[in-house]
Amino acid sequence: MRLAALLLLALLLGAQPPAAEAPPAERNLTGAVDFGYRVLSGVGGDFQTYRSVVNLGEGPKLFALDVGLESPSRRLFDRLDLRLNSWGGDPYNTARLEARRQGAYRFTADYRNIAYFDFLPSFADPGLERGVFLNQRSLDSYRRATDLELTLLPGKRFTPYVAYSRNASRGRGVTTFVLDANEYPVPHMLRDHSDNVRGGLRLEFPRLHLALEGGGITYHIDQQVYTFPERNFGNALRPVFAQTLFLDRGNQSLDVRGSSRFARASFIAHPAGWAELAGQFQFSQPESTTRYSQNNTGSFVDFASLQLYSAQLTALDSRARQPHTSGSFTAEIRPFRRLRLLEAWLTDRLHNAGSALLSDRLLVSGQPPDSRTLAAAQRLALNYNQQEVSLVVDVTRHLSLRGGHRYVWGNAQTPPPLIALGTPPERPELRRHVALAGGTLRLAERLRLAADLEAAPGDRSYFRTSLHRYQRGKVRARYQMRSWLLFTANFSVLNNQNPTPGIRYDFLSRQNTLAAQFTPGGGKRISLLAEYTRYTLRSELGYRDPGAAPAGMSFYRDNGHAATGLLELGLPGSGAIQPRLSLGGAMTASAGARPARYYQPVGRLAIPFGARGEWYGEWRWYALTQPFYLFEGFRNHQFVTGFRLSM
Amino acid sequence: MAWPPRTAKQSHTPPPYRLGVSLSSPQHLRAAVAAILLCAASAWPQAPKPAPAYAGSEACAACHDDLAKAFRKNPHQGLEGRRDWQGKACEACHGPGAKHAESAAAADIRNPAKLPAAESEQACLSCHRQAPAQSGRIHGGHARSQMSCTACHLVHRQPEQLTLNNPAAVNRRCAFCHAAEWAEFQRPHSHRLVQGAMSCADCHDPHGGPQPRSARAVSANEPGCFRCHGDKRGPFPFEHPPRRLEGCRSCHEPHGSTNPRMLVRAEVRFLCLECHSNIGSRPALGGLPPAFHDLRSARYRNCTICHSRIHGSFVDRRLTR
Repeated sequence: MRLAALLLLALLLGAQPPAAEAPPAERNLTGAVDFGYRVLSGVGGDFQTYRSVVNLGEGPKLFALDVGLESPSRRLFDRLDLRLNSWGGDPYNTARLEARRQGAYRFTADYRNIAYFDFLPSFADPGLERGVFLNQRSLDSYRRATDLELTLLPGKRFTPYVAYSRNASRGRGVTTFVLDANEYPVPHMLRDHSDNVRGGLRLEFPRLHLALEGGGITYHIDQQVYTFPERNFGNALRPVFAQTLFLDRGNQSLDVRGSSRFARASFIAHPAGWAELAGQFQFSQPESTTRYSQNNTGSFVDFASLQLYSAQLTALDSRARQPHTSGSFTAEIRPFRRLRLLEAWLTDRLHNAGSALLSDRLLVSGQPPDSRTLAAAQRLALNYNQQEVSLVVDVTRHLSLRGGHRYVWGNAQTPPPLIALGTPPERPELRRHVALAGGTLRLAERLRLAADLEAAPGDRSYFRTSLHRYQRGKVRARYQMRSWLLFTANFSVLNNQNPTPGIRYDFLSRQNTLAAQFTPGGGKRISLLAEYTRYTLRSELGYRDPGAAPAGMSFYRDNGHAATGLLELGLPGSGAIQPRLSLGGAMTASAGARPARYYQPVGRLAIPFGARGEWYGEWRWYALTQPFYLFEGFRNHQFVTGFRLSM
Repeated sequence: MAWPPRTAKQSHTPPPYRLGVSLSSPQHLRAAVAAILLCAASAWPQAPKPAPAYAGSEACAACHDDLAKAFRKNPHQGLEGRRDWQGKACEACHGPGAKHAESAAAADIRNPAKLPAAESEQACLSCHRQAPAQSGRIHGGHARSQMSCTACHLVHRQPEQLTLNNPAAVNRRCAFCHAAEWAEFQRPHSHRLVQGAMSCADCHDPHGGPQPRSARAVSANEPGCFRCHGDKRGPFPFEHPPRRLEGCRSCHEPHGSTNPRMLVRAEVRFLCLECHSNIGSRPALGGLPPAFHDLRSARYRNCTICHSRIHGSFVDRRLTR
């Protein structure tokens, strides 16, 4: 009886309507983690080129981790964000940590490690025609950068901050041991790092903002060049003075220590509702001190004294200092509601002074050592100024027109050319009047058109290839045809000419881009993003081969097509399992001076499981073909399988 | 047909146009007096219009539940605690909303995302004008092209979408407009932007800056390239002038190129010889060649094999070591 009563009670309780569902509690931990395994097919073609361009490896990977943690107590922080990308042996991995607490502080830590591998024989291989595949300017290094910044938020008026950055590189490569009449490819060790500390204070008042920053940087460069214990005959194949040149043993050691102190002050003032003023002043003074030593034994020739020698000992001390001052000022005046006057002024002044003292000793067989000391000094100065005035008129609510004038002027002092030592320094000048125009058209929030044009008649410029007589135009259009269909188009052109006799520079560059986004129903079943760019570049410039060939024209062409696209399809599924298939990728095909075809197609199938999980499989193909450098092509399939878990 | 229908005389003989105003006829005199009175009346101080009323954030949330939910973690939510905007953070940007709350008409509320850029920008700058990032705003291309703040900052969203920090997300946002630049990164030799190791904002300040193309600077005023390429910083006792006078872009395509080392020419010798040509082209710098080599020899087809310290040398004026 008692049992029956208990059963009845249980049934009654079980039959009770469920309690009203409590609102879902806000989760403190949000984000996602993406991890998996990458498999590479064998690299077809040149593996070194693959490493120089793609450089992705096999193995387990943490592709991405992006999590945010909200502290319920808000005692130490309000929110903490951690983001990791491409960990597990990939050539570039990054990490970022951000913590903040309202009214107390904001802290960011950023780390990135980027590998740099470059071994392309076509770039610098004098022995290529003899079948020697060795890029004599190759590198296998990595660079690590760490940035920490802490901003204190004690109140509305004062915001102090302090930051520290470290940037370090380490690696090996191939370079040349350059001596008179021959150069010898040798191994090279690179190491450098810099430490940067800065701190500042931001002051905010109702109509004025001031920012003051000061800091210092120290850096150290340490490079070693050494030889293998075997005779190196270098690139010169013919004897000089009937003597075969070779390097038996050599060593170069470069030790550079530098420092810089810098300061920056900026302000933004808002003295009236119709005026805004802003300005910056910046100063830095980097300095460097160098100790260099070199010794080499073998068979060499000295062109200065026209003698052969068997050993050399060199020591050098050098210094350089570079005070650099910059300032800028801008004003925006709005005398009427539809009229704005923009004024921008900029100056940049840099002076570089360097000196070196070199002690050189040559050992000539049968003679006493030939010792000499050389002192050299060099100065480089640059004064750059720019003044720009623009008037912006809002003709209607939908149309704004802009016109203005920019005046660029400056001068420089550079050392005389090497073959004209002893002559006065060169003192080129820069002067350019630029007419500015532009406009923005917005129609019914669907169409936006922005144009930006500038033209200069050409006056004085520094280099043969500098901007001289030029016209530059840029037009961007964006048309939201429907909420699910968007088109954008960009067109840009630069036409630059310098008709000075002996230069005859003619440059024309165009880029046309059309992009479309098709996302019906928010892209749940199908979405398509596609971009296509057509670019052309033509450059013609008069030049003469210094080897006394007659004057000619240097032609350069780079005409290409680039396209990127991504089609996402929702496949039929059941319940929460709705697979998605993505197909797309990128391709570049160019013709001209260095034709290249570079394909990066990708296909991906993602199958969700549970509420927060997803499995995916991905295929990528990388292929580079260069008709002029067929030995530098490669093809590679990559397969990735992984999981993405959301929190 | 016009209404009321004109007589044949009116339609064929329009009144003669006159310069100035003649007060000879009583009609004109009466009209002038009426105009003066009208002007005087309009200039007379009138009772101030009642200030538009605020609805309060709760009223906004009643209809815009989704936005209110996303807005809860948005830094702008902090306005709710400020004295001026307590309980009406939405209206700090959208203006007084009582009328909109009653009518539910879009025309009765200010929507900064749909305003002309200059007006939308003012709505943001009324608070953010003092942000240090704004000190170079007028130099920048975005201000020149009248891009409003809301084109990049999704104001209602969560902090990570309001101010993008993830490189991949930053790049997607930039590529949305700068598609041609994005295409440059698809070339074989490029900075690692597509892979997400870098972002456009590492090199460019989207709010604008004094440097061309809003390029960032490091250590106050040194080129932003030195942030990563610290070994090229110098100062070198023997500088290669173009690097200082016209920057890295004189030889490199910073976004990407089909040429190795992102050079602007396919072969190094042409890049060098286009400046160092012995044609009398003064006053252009570098008009004289630094040396006379026989370029038919493969040894001299890449100048940087010997002049390996092309960015500047601590040791040698010829930039060879």
